[in-house]
Amino acid sequence: MIVQTQYFHYDGEIKLQSGATLGPITLAYETYGRLNEDRSNAILICHAWSGDAHVAGRHSPDDPKPGWWDDAVGPGKAFDTDRYFVVCSNVIGGCSGSTGPSSINPKTGRPYGLSFPIVTIADMVEAQRLLTDHLGIQHWLTVTGGSMGGMQALQWTVSYPSRVKSAIVLAATARLSPQTIALNEVPRQAIYADPNWNNGDYYGKTPPNAGLAVARMIGHITFLSDASMREKFGRRLRNGSDGYGWRFDPEFEVESYLNYRGHSFTKRFDANSFLYLSKAMDYFDLSYGLPSLADAFRKVTAKFLVVSYTSDWLYPSWQSKELVRALLQNDIDVTYVEIDSNYGHDAFLLEVDRLAELTRDFLKRVEKTH
Amino acid sequence: MALNGIRPDLDAIIQLIPPKARVLDLGCGDGELLAQLIRQKQVVARGVELSEVNVRACIARGLSVRQGNIEEGLADYPDGAFDYVILSQTLAYLDHPIPVVSEMLRVGKRAVISFENAGYWRTRWRMFFGQGVGGDLCSGEVRARAITLPQFEAFAACVDARIESVRLFANDRPVRLLPNWQTKVAVYVLSRAQ
Repeated sequence: MIVQTQYFHYDGEIKLQSGATLGPITLAYETYGRLNEDRSNAILICHAWSGDAHVAGRHSPDDPKPGWWDDAVGPGKAFDTDRYFVVCSNVIGGCSGSTGPSSINPKTGRPYGLSFPIVTIADMVEAQRLLTDHLGIQHWLTVTGGSMGGMQALQWTVSYPSRVKSAIVLAATARLSPQTIALNEVPRQAIYADPNWNNGDYYGKTPPNAGLAVARMIGHITFLSDASMREKFGRRLRNGSDGYGWRFDPEFEVESYLNYRGHSFTKRFDANSFLYLSKAMDYFDLSYGLPSLADAFRKVTAKFLVVSYTSDWLYPSWQSKELVRALLQNDIDVTYVEIDSNYGHDAFLLEVDRLAELTRDFLKRVEKTH
Repeated sequence: MALNGIRPDLDAIIQLIPPKARVLDLGCGDGELLAQLIRQKQVVARGVELSEVNVRACIARGLSVRQGNIEEGLADYPDGAFDYVILSQTLAYLDHPIPVVSEMLRVGKRAVISFENAGYWRTRWRMFFGQGVGGDLCSGEVRARAITLPQFEAFAACVDARIESVRLFANDRPVRLLPNWQTKVAVYVLSRAQ
């Protein structure tokens, strides 16, 4: 499946949740499959922290790597592009083609850096709503995503209840827990501590790669689980070495994995974007300013499929159960499954076969009842 | 009376649920009862089920179910959310039946409870002339309580429930004489005593 990234430009400004404004805006997006005649088969996939618009397929025949969720999106897959018109866009605040802190501020002619306003999950959804209008889509058959993508799916059902027929929310939460905020703060501190960060003003100079690499390593620890680390690495030493080297170089396989992941991340991700997106998640709380979480869903009519994973300690099952409870209190049709998996938070990307079965059955019902 | 192959208590439950009722099935298994209720009575069906495999089977039938433990999960539903809350052949396996049945009567206008009668003559026969009281340790079955009809009726009183109706079965035949000896499976409909 060969796919091209497209760009949507919005010349106006949007009002952000903080009260600030942002504009003009560019959104990078990709589409897969065909929109049917009555425009009823559109699915929006929302990406997680480090994702982008390139959810599946390849950009050219010799592209070495497919999109970030290629296992789940394509002909005959969990989100079957033979049946559905699938859209994925890079969030605002991101760094993969959409407007973010590394974009040029039209007012100054220089990259925004920290002058970029704080954006929230609701602001990401607002930008996606503009794209939705541009694509001529009135209703999403489903909005889905894992982690930060699941938060956007939830926000869609709350911000635009009449435009979302269902939501598939994977490994996510309706509000971040203090543990997860803590696990976002430490990576931020790693970036702040890199002198190259320079208060976000590093474009055209050496970027804070050391800080960003450490930040990403912490992230990877939180995406795995105790069990998956034991299974994947054990105490094995790298390069098949059979004894200790008695030095500080990375020796254990788990160390070299984290180092490799951390450093390769700096080649594709902007440190300021990383900071902004982490902040957007920290602020995410659908009950903010309301008496209870249930009050957030008063006008929601979408059907829900909520999935959590037993070994996910970043967004543990109790948070999905809290969400399910708030939905049930509003008499919303919700199906909840806790998938038994050792893969930790990453399970939403890896347990694709078990997910495919669920999405097929769930979407069949959503299509039938509308 | 029994539908081909379906347990007589499930058949009785299907008979007593009125069309288009809102129904919650606790421990709904693979969703057979809810699917039948939708087909025959066009009910609004919801289920709670502990096992992931069974939850998947329910979703494959197009049901709306949630994975969870019924001893905790009922708190999630508002008062009177359902017309009927069903607990079929699960009461014997609950650690704490009082809070579960009290919650059933809170979230539902009526509770429908079916169970195997431990007073059934074959069970008594086994108790006296077989290996005595208790289950087969080799079978791997989970621990279950023995419940007789008088015990259940005393239980209903202690959760402030009114017994609205009872249907008793020996295999697939209704029972008339010596109910606590003859009944293999009982289906009770409870509501909250005012």
